[in-house]
Amino acid sequence: MAVTSLSEGLVDELRGICGHDYVFTGRSARFNRARVPAPFPVHRWDEFVPDAVVLPRAAEQVSEVVKLANRHRVPIVPRAGGTGLTDGAVPLNGGILVDVKLMNEIKDIDLVDRTVTVGPGINMLKLNEELRRHGVIYPDNPASYPCSLVGGRIGTSGWSLIGGRYGHTRDLVISFQIVLPTGEIIEVGDGGGRKVRKSSTGFQLKHLFMGHQGTLGIVTEATLELVPRPEAEFSAFFAYPDYDTAWRSTGALAKSGIATLAGVVLFDERKLAYLRRDDEAYIPQPPEVRSVVATAMYGNADEVRVGAKRLMRIGVETGGNYLGDEISHGDWAARHDRYATPLHGRLRSGQVVPMSWHCEDAAIPYSALPKVREEWHAIADSLMERFEMFDDWGMFAYTNGPYKPWGDYLTEIDIGIWEMQWDDESWAAWVQAKKDISAVALRYGGSITACHGASREGEVDLVPDELGGGWEVMKKVKKALDPHNVMNPGKYLLDEAYEEGES
Amino acid sequence: MIGFRLAAQRPPDAQRVTDTVVMRFDHVYEVDPALMTEHTPQQDLPAWDTHRIVDSRWEHLAWMHDHFADSVLSGEELLAEIEAEKKEGEP
Repeated sequence: MAVTSLSEGLVDELRGICGHDYVFTGRSARFNRARVPAPFPVHRWDEFVPDAVVLPRAAEQVSEVVKLANRHRVPIVPRAGGTGLTDGAVPLNGGILVDVKLMNEIKDIDLVDRTVTVGPGINMLKLNEELRRHGVIYPDNPASYPCSLVGGRIGTSGWSLIGGRYGHTRDLVISFQIVLPTGEIIEVGDGGGRKVRKSSTGFQLKHLFMGHQGTLGIVTEATLELVPRPEAEFSAFFAYPDYDTAWRSTGALAKSGIATLAGVVLFDERKLAYLRRDDEAYIPQPPEVRSVVATAMYGNADEVRVGAKRLMRIGVETGGNYLGDEISHGDWAARHDRYATPLHGRLRSGQVVPMSWHCEDAAIPYSALPKVREEWHAIADSLMERFEMFDDWGMFAYTNGPYKPWGDYLTEIDIGIWEMQWDDESWAAWVQAKKDISAVALRYGGSITACHGASREGEVDLVPDELGGGWEVMKKVKKALDPHNVMNPGKYLLDEAYEEGES
Repeated sequence: MIGFRLAAQRPPDAQRVTDTVVMRFDHVYEVDPALMTEHTPQQDLPAWDTHRIVDSRWEHLAWMHDHFADSVLSGEELLAEIEAEKKEGEP
């Protein structure tokens, strides 16, 4: 059944561009592309449904769809895996949703210049299965590794679990092709060469077109970094009697200078309490285990071995108790795929209730982690006192620097939400809590988000505060590139760029 | 059709591990069924199905290690080496 506010003529034009079988106006195709895993007001689902879904197979089709949207002044929203933890792929004003999943081909594997060129709809796990036979890997490794797609990783400027060794998405994407909001197809990278990692020619446009949450265009092809497939992996999990000892140990491990160190993760005491509910690695831990630090290394076997020995010494000398191979290996392997974890929330009575996972992330300097932790948990406590539908699942802090795992941390507080209970009052309280969490991050010299993007209700209100004069530039760029505001309108408060008085 | 008789595959009685967790098979933990009565009703699970789920999980984790690297080093072995070196260095 087709239920859309787009005219039949426009839908016919879409079919003419993409082919009859690649345009969908039925309810299931549209409602299933309304939300992402970020908290979503399910009681207002209807407000976020696109009018039509297209699945293009070529950049030229994307370009023609965008030009059509401009002619008719219809919103257009790009979507890749739809696994984002902010709302980039959620249509706020209906319109045409461009789903890039069919653009999933591997176009070129260049083992001489060490690149692979792909469509935006390919997934990293599937890509690496193919690359394995060539002895190389594309090491972009989010918690959504088995389900997120390259196009979405660019649109959100994603963070990688092993970015301390290999860099994050922005470092691993060498160049890409993008359809601008007016339909032109351009290539951006460092300079003009599609396979050049560093150039000083012109503006650095690659970064401009990363992390825009679909407000500045649609990626149609990307050229990615290839690194040697690691000969060896090493992961070590250490237990600590308290958070402060674990925090100090985290700092010592992260700044150890071990070249093969890919990341360090700090689990706080509330996280341990949460994991003791139903995680086989932590249920049997004695009560004196209150905080945990996880580490991981990748590289050539001889180099990893030497580094791992040094790392084990540091972990033990700074108060850590090695949790053993079974937990270290098993829990690390599970971290590549957090979207498959079944989530059990708890009511005050202790009863289990199915909850959705929400992860509020920020970039926080190492020195501020203990204070931010206290203030974030206080905000969550206040929320839980008012509404039983929220459940504080504790905090992680992950090393955030590319190639150099020290300095600032991707800091997240995980909050379970019983989404079937949403109403306007609880949603408003949640949005305020998110705003409060973001305000704490800024007060301690951090950034609202290290990984997900800051376009959701609540935190987005503080983006102008964080960016200062840069926010005015952002609006000017948006208006210059998207004169009719068709590309994902309503996101990032960028509608302000089109208000009277804005130049 | 291959069937099974639950009576022949009924899991052993649960032993309490913590206030909120029980165990029927070694190192296979379950949330206390008493906490899963109101919003997450439980079903009978034959023993073979529990073992299948647990085995699949370990298979998946082994697959994930193999996906990212050729080998996985042991921290226990490295710690033993460090301890041995310490002893060698002692007077």
